[in-house]
Amino acid sequence: MSSPTRESTEVGDARRRVETLIAGTPGGDGEASFREPWELRAFALAVAAYHAGQYEWSEFQLSLIESIRRWEADGADEGAEPWSYYEHWLTALETVLAGSGLLSEADLDERTRAVLATPRNANHHEAHREPIATDPAIR
Amino acid sequence: MTVPHTVAAAATPEHQAEVAARVKAVESIMIEKGLMSTEAVDRLAEIYENEVGPQLGAKVVAKAWTDPEFKARLLANATAACAELGIGGLQGEEMVAVENTDDVHHVIVCTLCSCYPWPVLGLPPNWYKQPAYRARIVREPRKVLREEFGCAVPDSTEVRVWDSSSELRYWVVPQRPAGTEGWTEEQLEAIITRDSMVGVGTVSA
Repeated sequence: MSSPTRESTEVGDARRRVETLIAGTPGGDGEASFREPWELRAFALAVAAYHAGQYEWSEFQLSLIESIRRWEADGADEGAEPWSYYEHWLTALETVLAGSGLLSEADLDERTRAVLATPRNANHHEAHREPIATDPAIR
Repeated sequence: MTVPHTVAAAATPEHQAEVAARVKAVESIMIEKGLMSTEAVDRLAEIYENEVGPQLGAKVVAKAWTDPEFKARLLANATAACAELGIGGLQGEEMVAVENTDDVHHVIVCTLCSCYPWPVLGLPPNWYKQPAYRARIVREPRKVLREEFGCAVPDSTEVRVWDSSSELRYWVVPQRPAGTEGWTEEQLEAIITRDSMVGVGTVSA
């Protein structure tokens, strides 16, 4: 059940390749940091799709720049719409995929609603304050 | 294309949940259309998961081991104690730290999905999300710990399994190993593993 440990140098090499890629991207100072799991997921999706040849990285970069530019043009109002780098990242990904006809906004909206509507589980939003199982001590 | 930018609500948990759902939706469509593989995404995420991962939890544990007052605060309210160190997410869920002792060994699971204390441990390892672990650790925890993780809990120690949900996420403060007296927090941090904070391992000096 243990996860296979990947050779640390292999991860290091892969990381350097990714960082070279994002270095020329707005906000991509080579130090990607994530506050939420979805941010990391969105980040990985865009890079994976690029690696799979779905678009040129420059298209993605331009799209990201455009999304950030629009936010700034709207007054960069933190109160109305707080800064979220990875939301711009997600917008950029949606835009390039839609631009190549790979994703339609209607499909995406529908799928998002489906994800939100999936009952996460009857009791899974409740706090479980007792152990779910115990194996008593033998003394 | 528009992201659901709920005006003035961007940083709320509801908004985060919406965006997270949208990311999931994008991913599922991309996989369906064969635009990339889920393995490729996992591999990329793996490059960074340690970045946000268990070294933050290790910092908290090392402080708890060396500062009894902090430890008391951590066990009373893990979310607040972690916030003292600038550690915490926007998710707003409650975290509970449970302490391993000679009498009790704690281990965490999410029986239904993969709820995990992200701010202190980063992304869950794949086995944590798999049905095999989720079911078996509840049914026969002592055996799973010994056979699958090589973590033999003495018979004289009770094993408690805690089920994390989206409302309340557990994690484990492992026992400080003998022979680390006088170590600095930095030295201690280096030996504290993710597995020990999930409860499927112990810390050794």
